[in-house]
Amino acid sequence: MADNKGVETTGHQWDDDEGYPLQEFNNPLPKWWLYTFYATIIWSFIYWVLYPAWPSANGFTKGVLGWSMHTEFKEDMAAVQVQQKAFNDQMERLSLQEIAKDNKLLQYAISGGKAVFGDYCAPCHGTGGIGVKTGGFPTLADDDWLFGGNLETIHETISGGRVGQMPAHLKSAGGNFSDAQVDDLTSYVLSLTGQSKDAAANQRGDALFHGDAGCKGCHGDKGNGSLKGTVDGSPLPPIGAPNLTDAIWLYGGDRQTVRDSIAKGRSGKMPAWSKESKEVGKKLDPLALKQVTIYVHSLGGGQ
Amino acid sequence: MQHATIEKSIPLMAILTLILVSIGGIVEIVPLFFIKSTIEKVDGMRPYTPLELKGRDIYIREGCYNCHSQMIRPFRDEAARYGHYSLAAESMYDHPFQWGSKRTGPDLARIGGKYSNEWHQAHMLKPQNVVPESVMPAYPWLQKAALKYDDVDVRMQALSKVGVPYSPEQIANAKQDLAAQAKAGGNDPGLAKRYGNKVPQDDFDGKPDQITELDALLAYLQMLGTLVDFSSYQAQTR
Repeated sequence: MADNKGVETTGHQWDDDEGYPLQEFNNPLPKWWLYTFYATIIWSFIYWVLYPAWPSANGFTKGVLGWSMHTEFKEDMAAVQVQQKAFNDQMERLSLQEIAKDNKLLQYAISGGKAVFGDYCAPCHGTGGIGVKTGGFPTLADDDWLFGGNLETIHETISGGRVGQMPAHLKSAGGNFSDAQVDDLTSYVLSLTGQSKDAAANQRGDALFHGDAGCKGCHGDKGNGSLKGTVDGSPLPPIGAPNLTDAIWLYGGDRQTVRDSIAKGRSGKMPAWSKESKEVGKKLDPLALKQVTIYVHSLGGGQ
Repeated sequence: MQHATIEKSIPLMAILTLILVSIGGIVEIVPLFFIKSTIEKVDGMRPYTPLELKGRDIYIREGCYNCHSQMIRPFRDEAARYGHYSLAAESMYDHPFQWGSKRTGPDLARIGGKYSNEWHQAHMLKPQNVVPESVMPAYPWLQKAALKYDDVDVRMQALSKVGVPYSPEQIANAKQDLAAQAKAGGNDPGLAKRYGNKVPQDDFDGKPDQITELDALLAYLQMLGTLVDFSSYQAQTR
């Protein structure tokens, strides 16, 4: 006979004739497990009464607590508004300069701006504005500015965006100059930072830079950019033409990259973040714009 | 009925099992098709343009949904980072929806217009060049592969069969609309007429003479979450 080791069976038994019958054991669930299971069933009834649960033809049962995720969310957001109200009101009323002078507000703006920067700006400008490996995205932690590093200009740049305006010079890319001429211009630009020793090429490039190619109209007589440079004694329009003499490169300072910039032009784009902008996409509210402006200004290069 | 009768008849057990299981489905799912509050009415939603639609196909092909969700939940931290929580209406033309279930990367429900095309190009080429701590793989082939779009109108037809309101005119002009949206400085009147003014038109991939898979993917990413005008949107109380 089979040894059922004292386990209760359901009484079913098959294939008895071999002497080893198949039996159906009944191993009851542990008591703690069973009662927990019953408790969850009871809880589900309580839950139906308290919380939104059953769908119906034109809505759903709302539950006696009246809880909803959207209401909780709204309350959460309202609580934050109340907490920050004193600061936000002041931030709204005061100018950037005034905020920067008030130490408490400054700290508030910087910590808020840091969060905004981390999400919206760091992908292109690097964490803390230290720049990224790919060319075309300016480092913000230094004091080499394209459009200006004071609070108002930074605010303007972030709100309205910027577009690079370097035109193409090579004939095949829509410009007016031959391969050899572009090579000469490249040599001259590199000579400004002491990287080109080919005197003849530098001289030919010099003539183009200050002549037919019109480079000086944006980069200045000395090639030191639209912020610091002058052309024929008068200041340059603030169009973001980089300083070519400081060995800080937006796209890269090797010969090939500089040549590419001259040959094909550059039109890097800083998106506009103000809600007044017509550009499609996510925008920042005026408070966040102010905060992130002050944060960027604080990164080290603010003027 | 005896339990033994059910156990011994496979067809009978199958039928009874099916009935039992479907009760759960009927109670949970069917009312959603009829309850008006399931999909809130919002202004601004439109079907994807042909280029965006091809981009969405690439998004699915490359498995982007494995690491990126498109579902902003109604929590303070998510609203602060990503913007307004997602509405059901915002994925009503998605077949299948791309809500995802895992965020190895950030949520993309409102990525549209957040970063420039130049950034997206650099990022797809090698994400670590712009975000050093990123674990995202590189997708360099997207910028090299020409977009095959001879089937785009057929795909739109298929979608219109499951309820996406593509007009015959939109389907007839699909290929030229696709090409128009990928043009630099584009301001195509036909595209605006058929899809409204919230259509990003640009040379998305940085290759003006070619329509690549990156053009399509970026056109899709750059419109995600931009359609609903939240300044005029009033949340239903529910």
